[in-house]
Amino acid sequence: MGVVLGLSLVRARVRIAVLAVGFGLFELVVALSYASIDQNAIRSLVETLPPALKAFSGASDIASPSGYLGAAYIHPVALTIQGALVISMASAAARDTETGAAELILSRPLQPWRWLLAQTAAVAIALAVVAGGGFLGGLLGIAVVDDLGGVSGAHLLVACAGGALVFAALAGITLLAAVLTRGGARAVGWAAGIAVVSYALNYLSEVWTVAEPLGPLSVFNHYDPGVITGTGSIGAGDWIPLAAAAVVTAVAAHVLVQRRELAGA
Amino acid sequence: MSPPAIAAEGLTKRYGRARGVTGVSLTVERGERFGFLGPNGAGKTTFIRLALGMLRPQEGRVAVMGHDLATDRMAALGEVGYLPGELSLYGSLTGRRTLEMLARLHPRPPVLRDELLEVLGLETGDLRRAVRQYSRGMKQKLGLVAALQHDPPLAILDEPTGGLDPVVQLRLVEWLDARSRTGMTVFFSSHVLAEVEALCDRVAMVRDGELLLVRDVSDLGLGAMRAVRVRFSEPVARERLAVVDGIEDHAVDGTEHRFTLTRPPGPLLAVLGTLPVADLVVAPFSLEDAVRTLYRPGAGNGSAA
Repeated sequence: MGVVLGLSLVRARVRIAVLAVGFGLFELVVALSYASIDQNAIRSLVETLPPALKAFSGASDIASPSGYLGAAYIHPVALTIQGALVISMASAAARDTETGAAELILSRPLQPWRWLLAQTAAVAIALAVVAGGGFLGGLLGIAVVDDLGGVSGAHLLVACAGGALVFAALAGITLLAAVLTRGGARAVGWAAGIAVVSYALNYLSEVWTVAEPLGPLSVFNHYDPGVITGTGSIGAGDWIPLAAAAVVTAVAAHVLVQRRELAGA
Repeated sequence: MSPPAIAAEGLTKRYGRARGVTGVSLTVERGERFGFLGPNGAGKTTFIRLALGMLRPQEGRVAVMGHDLATDRMAALGEVGYLPGELSLYGSLTGRRTLEMLARLHPRPPVLRDELLEVLGLETGDLRRAVRQYSRGMKQKLGLVAALQHDPPLAILDEPTGGLDPVVQLRLVEWLDARSRTGMTVFFSSHVLAEVEALCDRVAMVRDGELLLVRDVSDLGLGAMRAVRVRFSEPVARERLAVVDGIEDHAVDGTEHRFTLTRPPGPLLAVLGTLPVADLVVAPFSLEDAVRTLYRPGAGNGSAA
């Protein structure tokens, strides 16, 4: 299994490094920009926004140091970086089956579930590295921007871990899609589609009362980094559904891959 | 007595409209050199993937080296070296890293790696390069080394000579011949009939997913058969040759007659002596001729052993 884990990480090493550095730089730039803004102006601007736009800022005070820094972790750039990583890596099983690379590996005495487990572990490690890059960027920002000095590094770490949990759930969904579909492009399409629908569902639930009960079905509904950076904790009502989604989908993928035919006609 | 290297019973696999295999029963004994012949889409690769457990049959069962694929696939794969027909390697890895990675996934040590690298002409410099820089032939060589480096008791090779130059093809066939004499069972599919004829003890022929026949190469009677082409200086009726015993598949095109002669040529030569022969070519009947005959539309099926 270690061979496949190593192979997965080696194949994705450039992607992991670029996304980790990019995430870190993005969070650092956001943190540095805090020194140049007028907190009161931001606060009053947000207050005047219509609900449809205000929903993007989350429940925290976006003008506060923790709210501002935390909100950067749910910025579309941050979401895209982590989403691209997990979807590209977790769909590798479908891609390798399509190209025939899986045939080369699985004609050796290696159980398919162990093959998939190694790839799952590689996604987890890569996600930890990229989320770590984002955390380090934010931490560096706290260190160099005086106005952010009051933000706790530990709280920021919890916020980043919460973000990783969101994308672990998305990784589980992608693994399941990779096992259920034929072809890497289909797996990517399904996973990206589910991510977009999930994001849209969360947004709608915040701006439209009719859709509000559907909010908890979205993984993004359980993640508000602005609040977490301030409090330093994630409620059980949020981390349990995220962890459950990650575990259940990943376990289902491992069960199903044993039954799947791993070569075409 | 050891169980057969491959024992398939009534294997059936269909894919909607696409052909698979239907009711294929086949036994390959240990130490055999077995050729699996058929045109594209005949079901060769499907059978091989069923024999490796990559696909699951809708009917039938298959055991490899005595291990039932349905219940003991890992043990079976531990005794197999496999070269896929559509080889897909990881382009970012070097050749050396590819071999090491695949070796670590197999329980048997890669004792034949250096020997195979020499036989196939893959050099140290080649192995340092990323596989994406390899030509098709080099990738095929790497795939062969990866499949055979463990000295597997059973080598399953799907179109092993594809992309190899003729010299390397010959060296590979000679190497497989030598290894089979030390006990390696060689099962390979091929379009290159000459190498099957040169290497194999037995051949199976498939068409449209069905097994046409399984025969010892020597039992195909190729040694006694001749492909004959006669050109006369003027049109000669087919019936003039009908008196000769052993003429089959007789075709006439103007003054040219083509047929297969299954008996000694003496009576034919006697008849030809009475006719205006302008040219005569008598060639040994090859496996290719046999396959062409078998695959001719409407040709009767032989029995599968």
